[in-house]
This record gives sequence, structure tokens and C-alpha cells, in this order.
Amino acid sequence: MDFKNSGVMYALAAAVVIFVVVQSLFFMVKAWKRGLKLGIESSTLRQTVISSALFSLAPAISILATVLALASALGYVLPWIRLSVIGNLAYETVAAEAALEALSTSLSDTQLTAREFSTVAWAMTVGSCFPLVLLPFLCKKIHKTMNRVLSSGKSGEKNSALGDILAAAAFIGIMAAFISRSIMGVQKDGPSAGFMTVAVLLSAMVFTVALDLLCKKKNLKKLEPFVLPIAMFGAMGIAVLLWQTVPSEITGFVWRSYNENGELVWGGSR
Amino acid sequence: MKKERTYIDSMHFWGKIWSVTALCVLFCVPLVFSLRYNAFPDLQIFMKAALKIIPIYWGTAIVEVITYTPMLGAGGTYLSFVTGNITNLKLPCALSALDRSGYKASSEEGEVISTVAIASSAITTTLVIAVGVLAFGPSILKITDPQSPLAPAFNYVIPALFGALGASYFTKHWKLSVFPILAGVIVYIFVPGLEAGTMIFVTIIASVCGALALYKLKIVK
Repeated sequence: MDFKNSGVMYALAAAVVIFVVVQSLFFMVKAWKRGLKLGIESSTLRQTVISSALFSLAPAISILATVLALASALGYVLPWIRLSVIGNLAYETVAAEAALEALSTSLSDTQLTAREFSTVAWAMTVGSCFPLVLLPFLCKKIHKTMNRVLSSGKSGEKNSALGDILAAAAFIGIMAAFISRSIMGVQKDGPSAGFMTVAVLLSAMVFTVALDLLCKKKNLKKLEPFVLPIAMFGAMGIAVLLWQTVPSEITGFVWRSYNENGELVWGGSR
Repeated sequence: MKKERTYIDSMHFWGKIWSVTALCVLFCVPLVFSLRYNAFPDLQIFMKAALKIIPIYWGTAIVEVITYTPMLGAGGTYLSFVTGNITNLKLPCALSALDRSGYKASSEEGEVISTVAIASSAITTTLVIAVGVLAFGPSILKITDPQSPLAPAFNYVIPALFGALGASYFTKHWKLSVFPILAGVIVYIFVPGLEAGTMIFVTIIASVCGALALYKLKIVK
């Protein structure tokens, strides 16, 4: 009996997909109406929708690949559900592995019993639910506190300089984490920092700056919302090109790696 | 003024309702499965598994709620935490939309833009995964398989995404950007395996402190 990919599981997945889409549409419609009242042009809102959708395509395919990678042990549907609600690309595999380990098995096991499968599903659900428990209590409080700190950042008010700087600094802080990881991080289950991560990072930056300049010089307003998705796909294209044309000793080179004893050493390949 | 408060308050009101509903939907999945197949978990093994998973998830959840909530706006926060994949998708999406629109995150216009961006991203991702699983399941694995010529594209999504996003911010605020990146790189030299989710905490603090210092020294205005 293939309970992992059964009709019940597909029905549950369909319910989850409908729930997520309806919720997203609900918030989008509310925000859209409010935006129009605030004087935001509908073309700006439309462009936001299109560029965000394009921007999400490539990461969505990576998430899809994670779903499929978990499929041999857990079937298609449970990972699909897990990555559609709360799930996170980085933690879902780790969580599935941890749950399977407790059953003394692994991700390559295709013979889970219904009871074992149920145990994994419950454990992953209990593990992942916590943000939704925290949010109803914390979200409003955090926003109120932050707005008090950054209230000077609203347009038209004086003394907004520091608020603006701190808001920009917080955003830059987020990006700095990922960029510094691409420059110097070491990962066990993904690409460590090395030739390729830096080359892709720089390519994406060069594409963005070049496209921004092009938009400004030629006054291409319509291209502006697509600069980031194009730059991202361009950099991914460069990754493929480098991998195909540059010798593998160079493309595979990482600054640091784990040797066969699990020790961290300088140099190595991914 | 009253209207402004009403919109944000209604976002919180609906956000709470959707969060609780999402919790119910989430728990329905294992519950319906267990009832249908009469397969309830072995309590001892469940505890063992949960104890392994909870530290991974719950610790991250606390850090993520505190770090991301101020950046995502009210509507965006509730939506992001229900649909997940915040660091690698929803947050960059919101930041990029805000950057392009020119509205500040703390303004109500910024709140609207980030909510629309996150909703669009959530719908796209959910549909891509659904269509991908149903229609292209095994063939997607062929594309992302390490032997596939397209595999490198998907291995390096994160540097491509944050390189593109970072460039537009860094060119505008390069003085603010040097210190947090340097801080991140130095921390990675000593703690190379640190998850990006934890590192965000470090680099935001470094970035905000650096910005305050530059402001006091009148290097940025």
C-alpha cells in the first residue's frame, strides 16, 4: 500500500495549497486596496507582483528539488506539504533526517511503515509550528516597538536621517550575512565559499549595476522591475557557463573544506 | 491618522486569525493521516525525534520572529511565517520590492508594497512546487542532479540572489556596507559552519552599530 502518495495525502496537499493561495490573495487584495487609497499607482503594484513572481521562480525550483530529494523516504506529498507551509529549504532536510534517525533509519529508506511515517510527520509538524504560536503574541508588540524607534523615518517628518540610516543598515545586515557566507563560509551539505560562489556573487552584482545604469541612461522605466530577476538568472547562467568551460580544478576549488576525517582544512574541492 | 491605525490593526487582527487557522491546517495533516491509516506515532520514538528537531526549529523560530518581523511589515510577517522559506525567498523579495518602489519599510506605503510582494512570491512558490511535483516530479531531479549541465545554476541560487539584491543596496549605501560584510567574513573565518540564519543576527547588530558610529562621526548623514 503506497500510503505516502495516497489519495488522502494528495487531498491534504491540495487543501494546504488552496489555503496558502487563498491566504496570500486575501492579504494581497487588502494591501492593494489600501495602496490605491494611499495614492500608490496600480502600475507600481502590478510591477511589484510581476517582478516578485519572477524573482521567486529560481528559488522555488530549488525548493522543489528539496521536495523531490526527500521523496524516496517520505514520498512526494509530505515534503511538498512541509515546504508549502512554514517549511524552510535549509532546515527541512535536517529535520527529516533527525526524525528518521530517531527511527534508526535514513533518508534513503524507502520501506517506512505507516506508523513510522506518522511518527516522522508528527515530529516534523510539532517542530515547525513554533513561529505560528509565537506570532499572535509577539508580532504586534515587535512592530509597535520598532515603529517607535523608526517613527522618525516617515516621509515628510524632520529628523528622519538616523531612522533611515538604521533601517538601511538593518537591511544591509541581512544581506551581509549571506554575502559573507558566499565569501568565506563552509557548508557540509551545500557549496562552500570558493571560486564559484565568489564568481556568481560578483556576476550578479555586475549585472545589477550594469542593468541599473542602462535603465537610467536610456530611461527604461519598464525594465526597472525586472533588473533583479534578470541579474539573478544571468548570474546563474554564468555559473553554468563557467562549470562547462573552466577546468574543474578551478570551478571546484573552495577556500576551505572538510577532509575525510571531518577536520577543517584550507583548500580542497567541493 | 485614524485610518492608518485601522489598516495596520486590521492586518494584525486577520494575521492572528490566519496564523491560528494555519496551525489547525498544519496539524490536520498528520492527524488525518493517523486516523485514516490508524497509525498513531510510537510515543517514545516520537519524543526522541521531537527532541532532535525542536532545538533546530524552535531556536531558529525565536531568532527569526525577532529579526524578520520588523522588516517584513505586519501583513508580510504573518504571510511569510505561514508560507515559510523567509530567508531565502520572502525577505529578499520584500527588500527588493521596497528598494525598487522607493518607499520606506516603516511607512504604510512600504507595508503595502512588502505585503503585495510577499503574497505574489508565496503564490508563485506554492504553484511552482505543486505543478512541479504533479507534472514534472522526476524530470526536475534530472535538471538539478549533480551530473546535469544545469546543476550549477541551482547550486548557486543564493549567491546569485543576494549578489543581485546586495548590489543595488551597496551602491547606494557603500559606506554602511563595508563593516557588516567584513564582520561576517571575520566571523566565518573563525566559525565557518555558522548557519546564515544565526549569522544574520551578528551582521545586523554589526551593521546597526557601525551605522550609528558613522552617523555620530558624521561620515554618513
